[in-house]
Amino acid sequence: MDLVDVAALKAQWTGFSFDRSEFEVRQEDTLAFARACGEQDPRFLEPAHPEFQAPPTFPARFVSRQVLPKGFPRIGRGMFDAGKCVFPKAPIRPGETLVAHSRIEDLYEKTGRSGPMIFLVHRMEFENPRQQPVSVVDWRLVLTAGAVR
Amino acid sequence: MILDLHNHSVRSDDGRAKVENYCQWIRKRQLPLDGFVLTEHRQFDTESDYRPLEQRYGLRILKGSEVETDYGHVLLFGVTPELTRALDFGRVDLPLAQVLEQATRCGAVAVPCHPGRSTVGMCAHVRERGSVPGVAIVETHNGGSRGNETQRALALAQELGYAGVGGSDAHIVSHIGRCATRFPRPIQDEADLAQALMEGGFEALSWI
Repeated sequence: MDLVDVAALKAQWTGFSFDRSEFEVRQEDTLAFARACGEQDPRFLEPAHPEFQAPPTFPARFVSRQVLPKGFPRIGRGMFDAGKCVFPKAPIRPGETLVAHSRIEDLYEKTGRSGPMIFLVHRMEFENPRQQPVSVVDWRLVLTAGAVR
Repeated sequence: MILDLHNHSVRSDDGRAKVENYCQWIRKRQLPLDGFVLTEHRQFDTESDYRPLEQRYGLRILKGSEVETDYGHVLLFGVTPELTRALDFGRVDLPLAQVLEQATRCGAVAVPCHPGRSTVGMCAHVRERGSVPGVAIVETHNGGSRGNETQRALALAQELGYAGVGGSDAHIVSHIGRCATRFPRPIQDEADLAQALMEGGFEALSWI
């Protein structure tokens, strides 16, 4: 298997913007999400509440049209999800349509029990129809590699 | 003094615990810890100031690092600015011999961690390429060990005459306090921890 030059990959791709997607925030979905999370707070469960909104981690369910940019090199045997980290910025109101811009936030390597791995952080920045930032989601993907340089 | 020597906070890419939540957990569960060390992956945290948390919870909170070498992962205690300049903490292929040499030169202590673990532990590398001069301490008790990884670590320490320490390798709050190290005297700060490790007389502890 070819060696992967992570430093070069990082220099070339970090900060690269590659996707714009729109997501409708439907009330039935935020309610189902809140119940699935075991939420007790009426702000997430009662549509009549004056501060009714989606749970803070709700944007983690959205996936951009492109997971990786066109032209990004294929590395190893494939990739798998390593989790999402959500940074809430403002309430997300059901009924709104959010716009998410995607970019590669970071690329780094590490070694684990299974050997060398390359991690890619796909950052999605969500804004509401008033163009206010409402959430940032860092989605870590493991690009499995046989050898890292 | 009992310190849990190996923990990760949200500053590590795979850490899910906030430092204050570790403190709250230790106090709420009345864990027998006097403090803990944050050993963030491939970095040394120069920004965080945990002194307010130390005072609020009556715990010693120290900073170290976990770096990646050609012999597996290694904890660094007593990290100095000089050491951060001498080693690229972000690399995953640091030569262990270089890490040991630079740590010693800068007054720090390098401790190979979870040596019984495949790929990222020292045992397998020692079997393949022999031992590395300069290792004096290994983490014999790691809170994330599986199967016979602890047995392999203990056997390595016994065979090569290494002292053993314990650390939880916690990434989530409830995992702190699984393993720790008892020191025969109080530890004041990071440099003092390195000094205490050089002095010896400590004991690895495990509650799993």
